[in-house]
Order: sequence, then structure tokens, then C-alpha cells
Amino acid sequence: MNQKTIYLDYAATTPVDPRVAEKMSGCLTCEGMFANPASAHGPGRAARGAVEQARNQVAALVGAEPGEIIFTSGATESDNLAIKGVAHFYKHKGRHLVTSRIEHKAVLDTCKQLERDGFEVTWLKPDADGLIQPPMVEQVLRPDTVLVSIMHVNNEIGTINDIAAIGRITRKHGVFFHVDAAQSAGKLPIDLKTLFVDLMSFSGHKLYGPKGIGALYVRRQPRVQLDPLIHGGGHEHGLRSGTLATHQIVGMGEAFSLARQELTKEAPHLRALREKLWQALHTAVPQAMLNGHPTERVCGILNVAFPGIEGESLLFACGALAVSSGSACTSADRQPSFVLRALGRDDQLAGSSIRFSVGRFTTSAEVEAAARIVSEEYRRLLDLAPVG
Amino acid sequence: MNGSMDPDTEYSATVWKHFHTPSNAGEFLAGTAGVLNGEAGARQHGRAVAFQLQVTADGQVADCRYRVYGCPVTIALCSLTSEALKGQPLTAAAAYSVVSLAEQLGLPAEKHAAAITVEDAIRSAAGRYNSHVQPLAAATEFTYRA
Repeated sequence: MNQKTIYLDYAATTPVDPRVAEKMSGCLTCEGMFANPASAHGPGRAARGAVEQARNQVAALVGAEPGEIIFTSGATESDNLAIKGVAHFYKHKGRHLVTSRIEHKAVLDTCKQLERDGFEVTWLKPDADGLIQPPMVEQVLRPDTVLVSIMHVNNEIGTINDIAAIGRITRKHGVFFHVDAAQSAGKLPIDLKTLFVDLMSFSGHKLYGPKGIGALYVRRQPRVQLDPLIHGGGHEHGLRSGTLATHQIVGMGEAFSLARQELTKEAPHLRALREKLWQALHTAVPQAMLNGHPTERVCGILNVAFPGIEGESLLFACGALAVSSGSACTSADRQPSFVLRALGRDDQLAGSSIRFSVGRFTTSAEVEAAARIVSEEYRRLLDLAPVG
Repeated sequence: MNGSMDPDTEYSATVWKHFHTPSNAGEFLAGTAGVLNGEAGARQHGRAVAFQLQVTADGQVADCRYRVYGCPVTIALCSLTSEALKGQPLTAAAAYSVVSLAEQLGLPAEKHAAAITVEDAIRSAAGRYNSHVQPLAAATEFTYRA
């Protein structure tokens, strides 16, 4: 209890990189770029310059044009804007959408709202490894389908969907394709010039930027049009009104710029840490089961089921670790993860699964200590339990 | 009884302590004299408790053991109850309210199901007291498997 907490929940959120915080602090006070970026005067132009530089930085990480990046309050708003925006703008063309059962709640709940508004949604079930196979998408497309929304990397199990192949299918059928890339940006190479993706959501705080800022990529060629969610001053090409939060945007830009510089060395480092953690856990607890695809997975996320014990007890026993049992957004209600249930895990296994996610500041010693703590507490709880 | 709340958990320090270092956990060796076994709950329902009461010839609970699968509260309640029952007449053990214990600990009402499971396991054990159980002689030494 007194020892320092080992933070292994980078998929929930990351600390702000000190280099990012430094840039942000330059946008807040009298001496900095505090002015309204929409103002015509000198300080306003300076702030606008900083915002546009950040837009360039975000675009550069994912191979987009700066004009295709719309700043939002986070990936949840980006998902809402993309899905509701397309659904409402193109409702005269069709009212059918396709998504999967293991999307982030920001996509699931948005699609459920559209169902209540009279749209039809097809909910794809992933395969046993947690992947949405491209043929699954093609099979359910209809003449009135307007949008497919499939996440790039699953936030709970880290599996990577083949968005290149899914995009080829949607483009062939003239259907818009939205991708939630909150967990993949900066972890996997993304080049929107070569992908048939029309809309892509990003988060600042998953990549060592601040919370409260995100972005939506909106393709210009071929053009995607959206009904805005928020009306006001016509900011962000009229798609997202509201005074731009210069410090947040600059922070996200710097975070994405750093991720671009460090992607090639950081991803292998995280993969090595994740593998070290899995090997240590699996050696100490041979019963432990990997949730998700064994190889098609993002570098930082490891989701493990621990059979024979109760999940909440394991989580509390490992109080020295900051980890998640399922998505952090849903762990408050302590229900077995809907993602793991969709993969076919029973309630007991889903409930006793832990998501570990390593990040930029994770050390090898922390991974070793985490594996030791989990395996010791697992054995203790297993010894406590009745036979059978 | 409930003590201060542990800043790192939603449970009191008492619950945390008994979850982390439970008293009397384990089971008596097979064939140990005077042992009554009771069970309640099921893993598929989130908690299962196997409780053992060791009873003396004069109907006193000499010792307790248990095995438990469940949330931290279920484990802590088994531990606290095992301490409370030692030295009690079997009739008192059978009437012991784990739900009241949970209330004293300040546990929310949704955790009372855990208390009921522990209570049911104890009553199941106490209910098996009859002439077929060889009582523990007053001075008998016994062994147990931790």
C-alpha cells in the first residue's frame, strides 16, 4: 500500500509529456499566446499561427492534409461528429449503418442513439480473436448503407483490424468509412493518403497530450460532408463551433509531433515490455490466458484472463498496480467486459481479466515487479478458493 | 468497527486488512474430529463459500476454517466472522448475523448479498450438528491444512 503505484494503464490515459506541458504553458498567460485565434489583431494572429502549426503536426503523423483536421474536445466528440454527422447529412441516401459489437462506447452509444432516431444499425460480431474480418463487412452492406464505423485498435484487447482491406470494400461500394484511431495513432504507422478511410478520430490524452482535446480527420477528396453537432461561430469550417483552445491544441500538436519522431523506436520498446510482461505472467501462472489475437495486436496492450479467481479481488489485491479490468470508461459499473463477452469468454473469465498497458515511461523493473505482484496475489486467491 | 476508509480503495481499512491477510483461512485435515462442513453460493454467481466449524463435546465452536471465492468483501467477512465465532456456543454461531457485521463495517447494501452467502454457509455447517458427528474432546489437539 505504501509502495509507489506502478502505472500500467496507458491505454486509459497517459501523463502529459513534459515537453508537451512546456509548449502548453506558453499559451496561457499574458506573456504567451493567450489571445483568441479568431481575432484579427497581432496576438490573435500569433495564436492562430500556433493552432495551424499544431494542425500541421497532427496531419503529419497520419498522412493527412492540414485542412482535413478538425479539432474537437476528444475522441468521443470526434466519433459523435463523424457518425451522427454522416448519418444526418446523408439520410436521404440511406439510413443503414454498420459497426461492431466491440467498439468503444463512444461509437456504440452514438449508434444506439441513431437507432432510436430511426436509423438501422448492423452490429458485427468479432471472430474469436477479436477481429472484424473484412468479408464480414462486405456481407452486410446494403444499397442504403451510408457508413461503416470500425475501430483500428481495440481499446481493451489491443487487436488491430485491417482497415486497409475494409476501406477497399467500403470505397468499392460507395459507403463512407469511419475509423476510431484513439488507440492506434502514434503506435502504428497510419498513412491516410493510401487508406480508403473517410473519417478518423484521434485523442490527445492517449498520446502524452492533454485531456479535453481531440481531432477528426474529414477527407476532402472524395469529399465527406457532415451535419455539425455544435453550432456557433462557424469555427473549424463550420463543423465545430467554439473558441479554439489554443493551449490544448498546441499540446496535442506537440504530442503528435513527438510521437512521429519517436514512433520507430518507441513501438519496438513497448512491444518488448509487453512481451516481457506476458512471458513473466505466463511462466508464473501457466493457467493465464491471452485475450485477443496473439500477433495482430498493438504494441502497448496486454489483456490476460486469470481462471479460477474472482476479478474484483484480483484487482484489489494488486492495489500497488494501476491497471484496468476492461475499459476504464466501463470499469466503474463492474460488469464483465462486453468486449470479452463478445469474444466468447464467460462471465467468470471476463470478470477475472486484467488489461495491462505499458507506455513511454514504463520501465523494465516495473514490468518485472508487476508480474511478481500479480502472480503472487493470483496464487494467494486461488489457494483461498474452494475446490471446484 | 468500520475504521477509516482506505484511501486507495472504497472499503474500510478493516475490510482491506482482512481481505489482504485473512485469519483462519484454509481447511481442517480430512478426518479431523468435530468438524462440521457447510457450503453456500456458486462460482457462476460470483461467490462461493465453504465454511468449517470445529465443535467441542459441550457444543462450543473451538475453531473455524473456510475457503472462499468472491469479492474482497466476501473474503473479509469470512475472516472477521471466523474470529467472531471462536469460543461461541454453536447455537450462537448458527444465529450469528453476518449482515449486521456488514452494516457495522459500513458496507453498502449491495454488498449484503456477500454477507448472506457467508451466513448461509455457517448455518449449513451448524445444521449438520447431530449425533453422527464425533465431537472434539475438550483437550484434543488437531491439525489443519492452511
